[in-house]
Amino acid sequence: MTEPTAPVPAGPSARKGWLVFGAVLVAVFVLGLLLATILERRAESVQRQRVLQPIQAWESDSSKWAGNWPREHASWKATEQKDTATKYGGSFQHDYLAIAPANVILFAGYAFSVDYKQARGHQYAVSDVKETGRDISTKPGTCWTCKSPDVPRLMAQMGPAKFYDTPAKDLMPEIKHSIGCADCHDPQTMALTITRPALVEAFERQGKDIKAVSHQEMRTLVCAQCHVEYYFKKDESKGQKAYLTFPWDKGMGVEEMDAYYDEKQFSDWTHPISGAKMVKMQHPDYEVYSKGIHAYRNVSCADCHMPYKTEGGQKFTDHHIQSPLLNISQSCAVCHRWGEAEIKSRVESIQDKIVHGRAVAEDALCKAHFDIAACKQAGAGDEELAEVRKLVRKAQLRWDYVAANNGLGFHAPQECQRILADAADLAQQTRVACVRLLAKKGVTEPVIYPDWSSKEKAQALIKTFAKDGTPPTLIAK
Amino acid sequence: MLKGLLSLGFLPAAWKLPVWIALGVFAGLGILTIHVSRAPSYMSDAPETCMNCHVMTQAYVTWNHSSHRNVATCNDCHVPQDNIVNTYAFKAKDGMRHSSMFTLRLEPQVIQLSAGAVPVVEQNCRRCHNQLVGDVHLRAWQPGDNRCWDCHREVPHGRVQSLSTAFDVNAPKLPGVLDNPHKMQSGGRDPRPAKETKP
Repeated sequence: MTEPTAPVPAGPSARKGWLVFGAVLVAVFVLGLLLATILERRAESVQRQRVLQPIQAWESDSSKWAGNWPREHASWKATEQKDTATKYGGSFQHDYLAIAPANVILFAGYAFSVDYKQARGHQYAVSDVKETGRDISTKPGTCWTCKSPDVPRLMAQMGPAKFYDTPAKDLMPEIKHSIGCADCHDPQTMALTITRPALVEAFERQGKDIKAVSHQEMRTLVCAQCHVEYYFKKDESKGQKAYLTFPWDKGMGVEEMDAYYDEKQFSDWTHPISGAKMVKMQHPDYEVYSKGIHAYRNVSCADCHMPYKTEGGQKFTDHHIQSPLLNISQSCAVCHRWGEAEIKSRVESIQDKIVHGRAVAEDALCKAHFDIAACKQAGAGDEELAEVRKLVRKAQLRWDYVAANNGLGFHAPQECQRILADAADLAQQTRVACVRLLAKKGVTEPVIYPDWSSKEKAQALIKTFAKDGTPPTLIAK
Repeated sequence: MLKGLLSLGFLPAAWKLPVWIALGVFAGLGILTIHVSRAPSYMSDAPETCMNCHVMTQAYVTWNHSSHRNVATCNDCHVPQDNIVNTYAFKAKDGMRHSSMFTLRLEPQVIQLSAGAVPVVEQNCRRCHNQLVGDVHLRAWQPGDNRCWDCHREVPHGRVQSLSTAFDVNAPKLPGVLDNPHKMQSGGRDPRPAKETKP
């Protein structure tokens, strides 16, 4: 019997074998991954046929559209972001009253002096209205017009006039979805479509046919259904209490709108400090844009705010509507082929200048309101004050045309500076006329201006000008 | 030592065959990857090579509709042409960057020249248009000066540029993995007439 050989320990050599095995395994896995991505990225660029599911007429739930249009829907969902900030805007609740307490003075006696915040993305249209301090429970249904794709459905059921006349709080249970697909798209054809009658009616009154516009114009006009100046028209003869109307009959410039409101003797509220009958401008974004260079070059709202995007070789429109400053390389740089930082600084330098012009006009306007109040304290009557009240109304309407529009004047910088110059000039004309009036009443000392340097101080100050308040003395005795 | 390594001498005999097979699989997969990714095409100057990645569709299509298509390929402008070492070194460096960006899905929506590519492209503009810009009283480019395309903005890719601007239109179809790879060199419609020889 031979001595059995000791079993060769599997030890060192086998371990080497497993090492080689493992190394090859990892290498094959990584190589396979690379191969798979090459094929995947090649396949994604091939247009696939899609079977579209029919979408119901007036379908206000955007998630029902998502199956057919997943990329558009996913990017639309991104308007949920509420923490994006640019130098002067973004999608968060910027408190305009705290940033510029002059707003409290200028909107005294009106709900905007109570709460005035920047609106967030389209996803918040309904909740922002429910949460705002400008209580809508007493307002007409007209207030809902731009907030939800449920509105076209309700208008189709009840007719626009009845919709406007129904109290907002009665409509509230029907307003379920925030701005979405059905606001701009025909569910059968996906074509862009105007769902709000006010824009169609404004076109008709100007003798223009909204059906005769190009697709490129539609990429602006769907936005212009809401991003415009409007007012609630009262027409006793038609039994209308708050019929949504755009004041464009004479044109979309600020002077034409001013003339329109003068002709209608319309005012939103009476200013308690000056006693002037005021008009509030609401975001005239489309009107201002139409005076700018981008409109001149036929660039639509969607070109910058919803630029085309390619994902996996598939082109679609980015429905994350936001400031192009948050998406410079995808929006501006398509035409302006510079670096992102350079484009941003160009835009911000334009906005900085508008901010300067706006502040100058704002300060003159606040003082103009107090100058008129001082005249009243010196004994001037309504008849003597009629002229200065008209002037301050015109001045503030112009300032608000620029201040209330989104983009801080960027949509038409030169036009905005021109209007701010007029606003400041009219405010100073008011003040010069007041000085003359005061002199007539024997007051030659300067007006004593109260302190409105913070939101709280300004809000306390305007309360003293209410009916039962005791305003501070503005003239030296 | 090397011989032992090559013959897998360090492994127990029973391990050798399976490991040879595993290494064969690995090598085969490697060759397959080279084939499927059309790696050999990258040695050529054919513009269709750049179309291996669909993010180049708009660059290709706009060039294909420009006057430059008759006289210059992608490489004529985007790769240095001063000497062969420079040419291939730059091509390899840029190629690695492009393929890794594409694989990791980091491509931007609007592609612009990188800082390194700017002087290369300008040099290539001057290379062909020397008679126009080579006048003795014109000085060489200095920092702060405009580049050629700051004025000639539409040359050759058009004024409006993003991945979405020239979508799939007239882009050549790439050959399948079983097709003759040379088909790609003139994929789809051949955009260029045969080069004329100068008399």
